[in-house]
Amino acid sequence: MNDVVICLLNPAGFDRAAQGLAGAGRRLAAELGSQLKAIVLSPQSPAIPQEVARVADNVIVVDQGAYQPEPALSALTKVCSQLSPAAILFGNDTYSQEATPRLAHRLGGAAVGDVVEVMVHEKALRVSRQVYGGKAQATIELKRPPAVLWTRSRSFASANHLTTPGDITELSPDIPIDPRTRIVERKRESQSEQRLEEARVIVSGGRGIGGPEPFNNELKPLAELLGAQLAASRAACDAGWVPPTFQVGQTGKKVTPDLYLAIAITGASQHMAGISEAKNIAAINTDPDAPIFKHCRFGIVEDYRKVVPLLRQKLIALQNSQR
Amino acid sequence: MNIVVCLKQILDPEIPAREFRVDAARREAERGNANLVTNIFCENALETALQFRERWGDAKITVLSFGAPTAEDSLRKALAMKADAAALVINDKSSNPDPLTVAQVLATAIRKLGSFDLVMVGREAGDWGAGQTAGLLAEELSLPCVSFVDRIEAMNGGLRMKRQTDSGWEVLEAQTPLVVSITNDEHNVPRIPKVRDVMMSYRQPLTQWTLADLGYEMDDDKYYEVVDLSIPQKESRCEFVTGDTLDERVESLARRITEVTSAL
Amino acid sequence: MNPAGATRQIYWNISHIWAMYVLLLPALAIFVYGFYRQIRKWRRGAPTARFDQPFTRLKLVFKHAIAQRRTARDVYAGMFHRFISYGFVILTIATTVVALDADFGTAIMRGHFYLYFQSLIVDLFGVLVLAGVGLAAVRRYLSRPKKLVYTDEATWILVLVALICVQGFLLEGWRIAATNDPWARYSPVGNLVAGISLPFLSDATLPMAHRFTWWFHLLLSFGVLAWFPYTKMMHVFTAPLNIYTAQLAPLGASLKHIDFEKTESFGVNSLAAFTWKDLLDLDACTECGRCTAVCPAHTVGKELSPRDIILDLRDAMHAGGLNAPIIGSMPATSPTALWQCTTCVACMQVCPVFIEQMPKIVDMRRYLVMEEAEFPESMQQAIMSLEKRGHPFSGTNATRIDWTDGLDVKHISDAQDAEVLLWVGCGGALIERNQKVTRSTAQLLDRAGVKFAILGRDEKCSGDPARRIGNEFLYEMLAKENVEKLNKHNVKTVVTSCPHCFNAFRNEYPHFGGSFEVYHHSEYLARLVSEGKLKPIATTTKSVTFHDPCYLGRQNGVYDAPRQLVQISSKSLEMERSREKSFCCGGGGGMSFVDEPPDKRVNQERAREALATGADVLAVGCPFCMTMMEDGINAQRGDREMRVLDVAELLWEALSTDSTDSTDSIKESA
Repeated sequence: MNDVVICLLNPAGFDRAAQGLAGAGRRLAAELGSQLKAIVLSPQSPAIPQEVARVADNVIVVDQGAYQPEPALSALTKVCSQLSPAAILFGNDTYSQEATPRLAHRLGGAAVGDVVEVMVHEKALRVSRQVYGGKAQATIELKRPPAVLWTRSRSFASANHLTTPGDITELSPDIPIDPRTRIVERKRESQSEQRLEEARVIVSGGRGIGGPEPFNNELKPLAELLGAQLAASRAACDAGWVPPTFQVGQTGKKVTPDLYLAIAITGASQHMAGISEAKNIAAINTDPDAPIFKHCRFGIVEDYRKVVPLLRQKLIALQNSQR
Repeated sequence: MNIVVCLKQILDPEIPAREFRVDAARREAERGNANLVTNIFCENALETALQFRERWGDAKITVLSFGAPTAEDSLRKALAMKADAAALVINDKSSNPDPLTVAQVLATAIRKLGSFDLVMVGREAGDWGAGQTAGLLAEELSLPCVSFVDRIEAMNGGLRMKRQTDSGWEVLEAQTPLVVSITNDEHNVPRIPKVRDVMMSYRQPLTQWTLADLGYEMDDDKYYEVVDLSIPQKESRCEFVTGDTLDERVESLARRITEVTSAL
Repeated sequence: MNPAGATRQIYWNISHIWAMYVLLLPALAIFVYGFYRQIRKWRRGAPTARFDQPFTRLKLVFKHAIAQRRTARDVYAGMFHRFISYGFVILTIATTVVALDADFGTAIMRGHFYLYFQSLIVDLFGVLVLAGVGLAAVRRYLSRPKKLVYTDEATWILVLVALICVQGFLLEGWRIAATNDPWARYSPVGNLVAGISLPFLSDATLPMAHRFTWWFHLLLSFGVLAWFPYTKMMHVFTAPLNIYTAQLAPLGASLKHIDFEKTESFGVNSLAAFTWKDLLDLDACTECGRCTAVCPAHTVGKELSPRDIILDLRDAMHAGGLNAPIIGSMPATSPTALWQCTTCVACMQVCPVFIEQMPKIVDMRRYLVMEEAEFPESMQQAIMSLEKRGHPFSGTNATRIDWTDGLDVKHISDAQDAEVLLWVGCGGALIERNQKVTRSTAQLLDRAGVKFAILGRDEKCSGDPARRIGNEFLYEMLAKENVEKLNKHNVKTVVTSCPHCFNAFRNEYPHFGGSFEVYHHSEYLARLVSEGKLKPIATTTKSVTFHDPCYLGRQNGVYDAPRQLVQISSKSLEMERSREKSFCCGGGGGMSFVDEPPDKRVNQERAREALATGADVLAVGCPFCMTMMEDGINAQRGDREMRVLDVAELLWEALSTDSTDSTDSIKESA
């Protein structure tokens, strides 16, 4: 069988990650000339399977109530072994990452994680992913079906709606309760409880900010808009404009955000030592020769006082248009 | 309680990007000037095991590695951190065995070590980052698996653990035997071994096995194969946003920012 | 009267002389026991060799115990201390003269000697003693400087010394009055006392007062004698001994080696683990407090106090328990304090009795690091980075050869005719600002036609941060590796822009078989200038103040070479705390890796001093100083502009018009 299956484990909604997953699944299925099926396990809202049905040919719903890893895996195994797909795709949420290799093993297939691209190459499936801490790109060929992959699905384009939505089937496979592991408590953390080292987006200010007020009046609202945490360079902390807990750098916190927005920061190596693992660095600085720009993905040479208020407006507008 | 902690020795992941080179023919990174270090998540796992023993007592910690002969240094360091025993399965066959091979070899070695209650593995390695060892190992040993754990406590009849999720955390209760993968946390920063212990560690016994000793036939490329490895040509040039007016440039900046944040 | 026969009756008015000897014996015994007790304790310390080069050592004793040069650096204190000490020397000689005549039947105390020495000079020196005590008391009770230790013991010593002196004069005066001494005028003070007393004391009371005072004076003197070795007065003997056994090597060579094969415990956490010299140090301390007064950590308000470390250890030694733990068991040796030391050795440089405070701190650090693995997290990161990557800057993305971009610099394996190895150092290679200094240095060497080479990627840290943080094991590994590498390449001459590396190569690497000619880049460049190989032009009138790096200046005595470079193209202004009195930038001893509390930053204290000179430029000669002083100046400068430049950069600027690429002024820095 050549079908492609996408799996949503305990989804809260048909979010961007799920949409991208469906898009990737559909494109792969098209290349294989096959169907796109979806397994929705323990959806948190009854509307979700219907949304999935708009993009998938078949939707199989398995409701096990509160998610537990072992029963979920058993159910997935049972359903997937009946479907016998060529590929099974997941998003990059915790449950998916955890389940992927185990499912592959149970189905006699092969797994790869953190996939950014899936390709068909002469009857085999190949995937592309970053390795060596993002320094290199690897292409991996899966040797035995099914290919079980968890992906950075948020960055995939979504699928088009079907003219006729797919069928929704509800299954209740007979899965015994597994007493060996049990989730007994779940907690969602708000942004402000997050540690700086865990923040995905950081807005950081340097000596060029000039004083404590702009941190509060300009940078903080910008950070809130981006769901970001605030940080600062040593100079700003030394000058007492922000507490020392904000300090990022050689003698400060080492952060690993997806986006580090450096505002009025020169980018001396001691500061850069704290953000060497940042995936994207952007800077606002009046000095075009500032070392920070050598490490940036993008940036603007301009006084932050002119940029930040305007930037906030633009971001709000963009966020609204995405809804 | 018998705990097995699996360690992987890798090339120092923090060498400057400028010095990172890839051997395209062999599809692996070049050693260059880089040192060999223990994968940080494996050290977090060892630290978690050590703290568990300190808190709950009476646990024997064995560290196990499947790697080149140089992996002995990682095991010695673990002994210096006061692991009780160490075993090395020498890999003289393939420089980058696939995750299934690794899991099968480790499973065979673990069974040979004797009975065990808990297997702890780092969540992923700093080089290939496959993140599959814990899951595949659990399947090979027919055990349940809990991933991204950062804290473990003993509990009546089992273990209680906290694991990180993308939105927060969860607490799980589990029975032994069990496989867990460990992620880093402010509490499991690996301890610095005392110098005396480092000196002593080289005099402690260390079990060494070949694949033949384990009776394992390596059959690489049955699971997956790395067909290409390259360094992407990164623009080292910063993209300065364009536009005739300030408004246009900031609009461009806002778009670039949104591109990144919406993919999260 | 014939002066040849001048003398006085020794025990005039005193009977039962035998009682004096009876009292003397226990006093002497207690006195001797006091020293014996301490000597026994010192001997429980580990061995160390401090008796070589006796002639050099004697010269030190002469200069500092007798001439008291260091003591006299504080003019006021030096003055009163000399009064008291020289006074007592004279009084002791006088007493010995009396004893010789009284007990050994000699006849020295006669004639001109009696008149001019025993009477006149002794009187004058007696006054000096009193004056000295008076000046000391004024300082102690009126000025109340914070560096002194205010104990009852100190007060009693001053009181008793004064009292004994006054009694001496009273006795002399009353004897003169009662015997109508014909030679009275040769004892001017005694004569004065006689004159003043006569109206108040009758013929009958005078001898009684004299006799009473004589025995009282004897009791007090014997009492002080017995009490002597149980107080800081002991320094009269222990200080010269301590100076004799002082470290003769430069201050940069102060740390001890550890034999890892044989030593049972690494570092020091008990008095017995110190060497006998360390323990002698404790008993030589005079509680002067100068070490704490010059300590940069203490100056900015931190807990570290070298004086209190010595005194707390001394008190613990006196209390016994040479095997009890010392770290954290007394206020001064708390780990907090121990981790504040920058190893600048201002304390050692200022100590009048040559106590070695800094090595004791490092000894205790060694215990914490190597035996307990308990030390500040930021230093842990530096150590781990050293172990894994051979440099202490965890997280850096720079490579060791980034600075060579655009320059033609050869690796030593490709440079068979290289005269000099340019040792770049971790700071010079991996810290962006310091890469510019390395470039300037390389360009200058090139311009001067010096054939040099580098180790490039093969360079590993000299080990200095590891050693100062206390990981002697890691330091040895690095040092041995480096020595091996350099010897493999047949390196003879090393030039480095980092004083820490300079110190390691010059003073510490010979222990591992590395003997090289080592120059700080300022020394080498100054020589090139004086040989005419570099021809700088004095074009600007900017004013420059030079900050002496601790590891170059105080620890290795190099003060002039960097100043020669500074003076070439600028007007040189000196800070008050310069040369051997230089105030640390706060970066040594692993402290540059530590985040200090914002109101207690050593570098900012120094920055204020630099800014106060009004100079346009602060010149430095060390990568740590560069980092610390740039941060410090940035935080303290307000609107003022002050560039921070290395001496090599200054020289490069002065060379010609094509010095465009390396000396950017400090703009808005991060």
